[in-house]
Amino acid sequence: MSASTIRKLRPWVQALAFIFFMVVLVAAGRLSFLPADLIIRLDPLLGLTGMLAARRFMPGMLIGGLITLVLTILLGRVWCGWLCPLGTVLDWVPAHTPAPKEKDLNPRWRQVKYFLLGLILLAAALGNLSLIFLDPITLLYRTVTTAVWPALVGLVTGVEEALASLPVPGLLDAIVKVDDFLRSTALPAYQPVFRLGGLAALLFGMVLALNAIRSRFWCRYLCPLGGLLGLTGKISWLRRGTNDRCTACGRCDRVCPTGTIDPQKDFASDPSECIMCLECAPACKMDAQEFRGHLAPALWQPYDPSLRQFLASAGAAVTVVGLSKVLPQDTRTEQALLRPPGALDLEFLAHCVRCGACIQACPTSGLQPSLTESGWEGFWTPVLVPRLGPCDYSCNACGQACPTGAIPALTLDEKRQVVMGHAYVDRNRCLPWASGRSCITCEEMCPVPEKAIQLEEAQVLGLDGQAFTLQRPYVVQERCIGCGICENHCPLNGQAAIRVYTATDLGVDQPW
Amino acid sequence: MSSFSRRDFLRFLMTLSAAGLSSYLSGCKSVQPTPPPQLTGDEITATDAPNATLPPGEPETGTPVEPTAEDKPLPAEAAYLAVARGSSAGAEELTRQAIAALGGMGRYVRQGADVIVKPNICNAYHGPEYASTTNPAVVAAIVVLCLEAGANSVRVMDFPFGGSAQDAYQTSGIAPAVEAAGGKMALMNALKYQQVEIPNAMALKRTQVYADILAADMLINVPIAKHHSGAGLTLGLKNLMGTILDRGALHANGLHKSIADLGTLVRPQLTVIDATRILVANGPTGGSLKDVRQMDTVIASADIVAADAYAATLFGKTGAEIEYIRLADQIGLGTMDLASIQIQEIDI
Repeated sequence: MSASTIRKLRPWVQALAFIFFMVVLVAAGRLSFLPADLIIRLDPLLGLTGMLAARRFMPGMLIGGLITLVLTILLGRVWCGWLCPLGTVLDWVPAHTPAPKEKDLNPRWRQVKYFLLGLILLAAALGNLSLIFLDPITLLYRTVTTAVWPALVGLVTGVEEALASLPVPGLLDAIVKVDDFLRSTALPAYQPVFRLGGLAALLFGMVLALNAIRSRFWCRYLCPLGGLLGLTGKISWLRRGTNDRCTACGRCDRVCPTGTIDPQKDFASDPSECIMCLECAPACKMDAQEFRGHLAPALWQPYDPSLRQFLASAGAAVTVVGLSKVLPQDTRTEQALLRPPGALDLEFLAHCVRCGACIQACPTSGLQPSLTESGWEGFWTPVLVPRLGPCDYSCNACGQACPTGAIPALTLDEKRQVVMGHAYVDRNRCLPWASGRSCITCEEMCPVPEKAIQLEEAQVLGLDGQAFTLQRPYVVQERCIGCGICENHCPLNGQAAIRVYTATDLGVDQPW
Repeated sequence: MSSFSRRDFLRFLMTLSAAGLSSYLSGCKSVQPTPPPQLTGDEITATDAPNATLPPGEPETGTPVEPTAEDKPLPAEAAYLAVARGSSAGAEELTRQAIAALGGMGRYVRQGADVIVKPNICNAYHGPEYASTTNPAVVAAIVVLCLEAGANSVRVMDFPFGGSAQDAYQTSGIAPAVEAAGGKMALMNALKYQQVEIPNAMALKRTQVYADILAADMLINVPIAKHHSGAGLTLGLKNLMGTILDRGALHANGLHKSIADLGTLVRPQLTVIDATRILVANGPTGGSLKDVRQMDTVIASADIVAADAYAATLFGKTGAEIEYIRLADQIGLGTMDLASIQIQEIDI
């Protein structure tokens, strides 16, 4: 099969891989035959940084990452050209193709991705994972989880509601049938809501917009995973080359999406930059291109990482890690910093690769990406925000979805024992305490077998001057696990009158 | 490379505005006036005089298409309220006996009727042995009795507050039992709630009720008897809270009055209280077997207030001590005066 024929398969492979990726992402472990972290494991950068920072061996991540690396050693950066879901999206959006005489960007910009790679790896070696949010898989996960998917769910609901309000006989029942089917298979029962969905969409939009400068700008210049695979590509076996039939017509150069075909060097390409898309194959009319096996490492290019650049990365890494230590969160834990069940905060930051698999797995959208709760070191790590969604007493999905063990894979019984925080009644707002009106919603909701919320009875005067018995809630802290269903269901508008805060005594006597 | 032509852009814009318009239109839905619920002739409305002596299972005034069970004469010995108990019989037999004592399911279910059964499936936390959800055997027995009496379909539904409905249906054991019995578990779809005014309400002036429950030929209320701090106990009337969308509002506006108000709107033709196991503390969620008492009792009556009042006695209380029962009696939803009604107690 010629390279031109194989090239025709690429859009199909990309589309299939993309669909598969989306199914794994959206299902988040709800389909038992598709582990939630299947795609994340294939990202060698996540595995490498995760293991470096946590100083722990993670077999699943190691095997998955090795699969991608071995694939790269055999066939070059096919991950980027054929499989990476972000790369596929970048191929789908319009891109700027430079005119033949247009001066190209300085190739030294390609160094940025190596700089970021060095920075991320060195910071990880020092125990810091803050910058792993630049990884392309986490980038896509974050966008789909907190923006695209919720928007899609909202859109489906909106269209259904609009149709349901039309006075057409039988239509409502038909829509309800469709809706019941959708919500018991693909769609969540409730609308997911995220505080940072807009920010995720904005960051993703910026990555897409860079295509207006150059096609696959992200892959050429910025992607740290691309950097890792690019370095691996130096020793890849399959590479593109040109032979003496080349007439220097420049057709291949004009179609190359990563701009690595260099007219100055006999239209050769750099295997570290070539994504094996084969777009150049049909462009050549002279049969002057060859895709053959090589054993010797490829040439080192001027834009490839140097010792000097490595030192710059190291300096930046030390700065990043150093600055993360001058944040107040290390001295006094933020009150709203409720971690997913079983995740201990100190160790947690060195384990969490910010992939957002737990956020997608959480059925109540109580798990939210954090912006400031744990300082910028914890950017996009998951926090429980009970007012938006409680930790469901019948769910342990986040721990099952976590690829690194940052959230331990607890059984449901274990999870029910784990303390995430403690609830406090705000007597200045609580209906019985502040307004003399009866309400016991929080106590009713408390799922702990021996309820952590108890009611005291008090004789109070009603508006009519008559004394009556009122039940007022209080929390028995030793029993409270901080699931936050009380905070979630408190009938007040805005802030709840019972709120979960980080437990001061966490970190001792935990059952794992 | 693909390019985004003007035509594409216009198409995109059209789609976007259509979506926007549709969301806007759906927002308008709630301001349309909705008709009050259709009350069938024999039902007591809140405006009617209290009529606790009304015999249960009064024939409906609608014209039946086929000859039905209602045409048969009432058995003279039919009880107003039936209680079946005994540890050797099993929940299914207790249910059958209790309903038989009322004169059989045929008195309530018309040929070809679409029946909705509303158990208490409040969350997805625990199995039935923890007594926070209705015993699956009781629900399954009712499904079988309805089908035997000629029902066209029997749907079982509830709207849990903890966990998803699907999980709760499974964890409670009710889904497998109902499906084996030939009934159908139905999800309560958010699109199907209907805003309804409650005339002469004490607290709950209007609420969104599940449309299918209002429209069903027959509603059978199958609560489990259990402890509830705010309401005292959760029984038949309290179980009706599962038929509405916004339950938080009930708490904030006076729980007991709201429950009684809801009782004037959602009128089950039959209430079967599962007291095979009861939860005596830490309800309605439960989770500890030490709070569960084995009572091996099933209570059935067409009078929801009488059934609740009887069930209260299992907890050492009287109906009058539970405010919503007292209020429901006062406005004529039924009677809590157990001395005034014919009760048949069957020990098996």
